Amino acid sequence: MATNILRRAASSVITSKTGSLLTGTSRRSYASVAVGIDIVSAAHGVSLQKARSWDEGVSSNFSTTSVKDIFKGKKVVIFGLPGAYTGVCSQQHVPSYSKNIDKFKAKGIDSVICVAVNDPYVMNAWACKLTAKDVIDFYGDFDGSFHKSLELGKDLSAALLGPRSQRWSAYVVDGKVKAFNVEGAPSDFKVSGAEVILEQI
Amino acid sequence: MAPIAVGDVLPDGTLSYFDAEDKLQQVSVHSLAAGKKVVIFGVPGAFTPTCSLKHVPGFIEKADELKSKGVDEIICISVNDPFVMKAWANTYPDKKDVKFLADGSATYTHALGLELDLGEKGLGTRSRRFALLVEDLKVKAANVESGGEFTVSSADDILKAL
Repeated sequence: MATNILRRAASSVITSKTGSLLTGTSRRSYASVAVGIDIVSAAHGVSLQKARSWDEGVSSNFSTTSVKDIFKGKKVVIFGLPGAYTGVCSQQHVPSYSKNIDKFKAKGIDSVICVAVNDPYVMNAWACKLTAKDVIDFYGDFDGSFHKSLELGKDLSAALLGPRSQRWSAYVVDGKVKAFNVEGAPSDFKVSGAEVILEQI
Repeated sequence: MAPIAVGDVLPDGTLSYFDAEDKLQQVSVHSLAAGKKVVIFGVPGAFTPTCSLKHVPGFIEKADELKSKGVDEIICISVNDPFVMKAWANTYPDKKDVKFLADGSATYTHALGLELDLGEKGLGTRSRRFALLVEDLKVKAANVESGGEFTVSSADDILKAL
């Protein structure tokens, strides 16, 4: 409750940068991600797999994309979710970003990225199903190494998902985290949606 | 674990799926296979071509013929979570009662000795492509592909063994 009041006050009175700093502090619980960190250093040497069909995988020699190439010199909004084809992820989280894509472009965002601990072929099929592939870049963190390096991994074995990730979002400029939000529980969808981060950009 | 072979007893294990009411369920392999004739075929990954375009459709196409030869259950397993298995199963409009079961943690695949490291393809630990014919928990046919081919594990190959 207090953090909500803080956030509203911050965004209306202070500049968005300071506002996001306050939000970042209130969200900095147990992750190594926080406002001000360099995501490229934190996830040093880590790569993600761009969502693609198997044939595209074969023709690209199963190439991967380094975290550096994703973030360096760019304004990126990235959100992570527990799993492709699961409820909140499919019905609320991705749609919140895909329907607001014009607002992100208007704020100079180079790419909106969705990442989950799934293989890139599942991510591809899911992105096609959500008809979001042409507005959001989907990446698979198939072995969880990206999320682990940022301490955003979460064991969802109880939901028969195994090691996955938190539900989170971040605004990253040239690799530096400017805003970061993580849900208290992966099934929540309170702070990691597009509406919240649009206020923080 | 040595790969499962003809003459072995099918190990027990737990697989998961979403039932007709969309509830997450777990099922023991033995409860599906004890006292019955079952075909179990495994694929490296949902939404990958040979699995999606050749292996699964073959079993759906031949499901009636397999049933007419006494097969009680046709089960497809993959190292994927049950949400992905459900979505993938739904891409086949008529599944002809082929069950799509998730071995999310690869535990059952490991018990069968059929795991395969496909990390460099972005898949992680998965299953080999295989097809088993099991009668009252005794393995009667074990057709396991050695690599990425699709030469011995099809529905036709299992029909030959019946």
